[in-house]
Amino acid sequence: MDSTDKTTKLTTRMMPYLAILQHDLRALRASRLVRLWLAATAVLTLILALANWSNFQNAPLIASLLFPYLVFPWFFVVVVLGVSPVSGSRAEALADGILSRPVGRCEYLLATWSARVVLVWGIYLLVLVPAIALVTLAKRTVPKDTVTIYGIVTALFLVGLVLTFLVSLGFLMGTLLRKPLLAVVVLIFLWYPISYILSVFSLEEFSPISLNRALCTQLRQPWRQIEGESKVDINKVNQDAVPSQFSQILSVLSGTKPEPKPAKPEFFETEEFDDFSLLRVTLGYGLPTLIAVILAALSFYLRDL
Amino acid sequence: MPTQPDKVEKSAMEPAIRTEHLTKIYGQRLIAVNDMNLQVPQGSVFGLLGPNGAGKTTTLRLLLGLQRPTAGRAEVFGKLCGPNAVSVRAQIGYLPTNPKLPGNLRPIEYLDLLGKLSRLPHQVRKPRISALLRAVGLLTATEQRIHTFSTGMCTRLGLAASLVADPPLLLWDEPTAGLDPTARRFTLDLIRELGKTKTVVVATHILSDIDQICDHLGVMHEGRMIFTGSMQDMKRRLRRDGFSLELEGEIDNIQLLAQEVNNMEGIDAHLGPGQTLLVRIANDRGRSRALAEVLKLIDDNKLSLQAIHSGQNATENAYLQLLQEEEAHGFHR
Repeated sequence: MDSTDKTTKLTTRMMPYLAILQHDLRALRASRLVRLWLAATAVLTLILALANWSNFQNAPLIASLLFPYLVFPWFFVVVVLGVSPVSGSRAEALADGILSRPVGRCEYLLATWSARVVLVWGIYLLVLVPAIALVTLAKRTVPKDTVTIYGIVTALFLVGLVLTFLVSLGFLMGTLLRKPLLAVVVLIFLWYPISYILSVFSLEEFSPISLNRALCTQLRQPWRQIEGESKVDINKVNQDAVPSQFSQILSVLSGTKPEPKPAKPEFFETEEFDDFSLLRVTLGYGLPTLIAVILAALSFYLRDL
Repeated sequence: MPTQPDKVEKSAMEPAIRTEHLTKIYGQRLIAVNDMNLQVPQGSVFGLLGPNGAGKTTTLRLLLGLQRPTAGRAEVFGKLCGPNAVSVRAQIGYLPTNPKLPGNLRPIEYLDLLGKLSRLPHQVRKPRISALLRAVGLLTATEQRIHTFSTGMCTRLGLAASLVADPPLLLWDEPTAGLDPTARRFTLDLIRELGKTKTVVVATHILSDIDQICDHLGVMHEGRMIFTGSMQDMKRRLRRDGFSLELEGEIDNIQLLAQEVNNMEGIDAHLGPGQTLLVRIANDRGRSRALAEVLKLIDDNKLSLQAIHSGQNATENAYLQLLQEEEAHGFHR
């Protein structure tokens, strides 16, 4: 079998997935929510950039532009976008229109999930890339900063990963709870106190607020240093943190009293969250994203339409 | 693309649809489909008949794998149905009742999407879409978005949608619901035409549709399949010596009348829908004399006779008779 045959077979195999992805993206693009979000995020980015234009250096200014995506208000929009596709009256319509065709449920779910992730990433990058380019290239009356391309790319990636996680969480809740409004309410109650929930498990570094705080350091991170010098430090941090976080999670889940720890200062009072391990944060959001998608697929597979 | 063998060969083949003890219970409360054993022969136009809530739509959704059976199994062309049975759905063209279509698309875009879902290559998809739109009379509406369509146009587009992949089995749920007489006639003619080359299952509660197009029939009542067989079998079941009496008066008096008629020798009576009394007269009993006695009882019970029917619509009477028998023997379940 030559490569052309293989490509044709793959294209034919992927045809339903791509068709649903394309159809969903088109429907999303036409939705009022998405159009309003695009307009609002562009306006808010502009306001934030202008307000801090002559006050902040590059890194804090870029971090301030990323803040609405990590903390408030855009997480809400992203969650709503994730919740809608397989819940409420839409489920019946899609059952009649799409799932009565030769399409697997997982195939459908993955395609709609991908459409939402592509859309969220698209809007996020569409607004932020030009804004960041403008901030870094413009001559401003602030001291020069050492923001790197690597730092910008990784910071954008991390925030995008958090958004992907939120879409997936919305997806999971929408599939489990079926009622979109209920799913959104549950997610708000889950996401707003996330910093406190994470602190119970000693996972504060994954909270959106601490991530945003650490973005300045990440934006100034040069590629070479990561590869060479700081690798040792990160490994050491990982080695120290993983067992303690694991035992903390176990003790919380089992209800036993955790090992006494030296009294620590209040959350964010230390400089501990001015930096993070890229790998740990990627895994910290990447793995739950994967788990949320798998659970959503499983729940969707088991349910009646 | 699945092809349909000649009708002669089909009889020897496995059935297009086979269910064994198929059961669907919603939330441990509602029995939608109750221990259903069904065989739909290949090449037949099969009418799935039953009142609203009988379980017709649930049966179709179980076959499509949109719902999971609580017990039992369903097969289409020998393949087990289920949520991931993509190969089963590839053989089925489904038309839901009042299909919900994406209003933002145009008919060609919608059919093209469905063609892609069925993995049809571009060179097959495009000419077929064009032929289907012509066949259902929507060629002049290709510029319109679907949300501007009337109910009849939506149903016709739904019909075209179910035929995009040219499947050998069509499951059409209430295909004439909400259609004007012209559109209804068109749909029935289309079913008759498609029935020559495909297996068509039409779920409906409209008896006249079934009478015109179906050669096989299944009657559902409260989730149970109470009759399956050919139309001839169904009509054969009809007790020809029966009358349907439309009465006016107190319901208590009608019930009393039914009891009194039942006490008469060689006469059997059941209450029908509305204020109707269905009377069956045994073969060895003189019909005129028996009827005269019943009419006298009507007067005695201070009831007024509105109309008498006798076997004018064989299918309808047979159907009503089946439902009555089923209700009368409901405690056997």
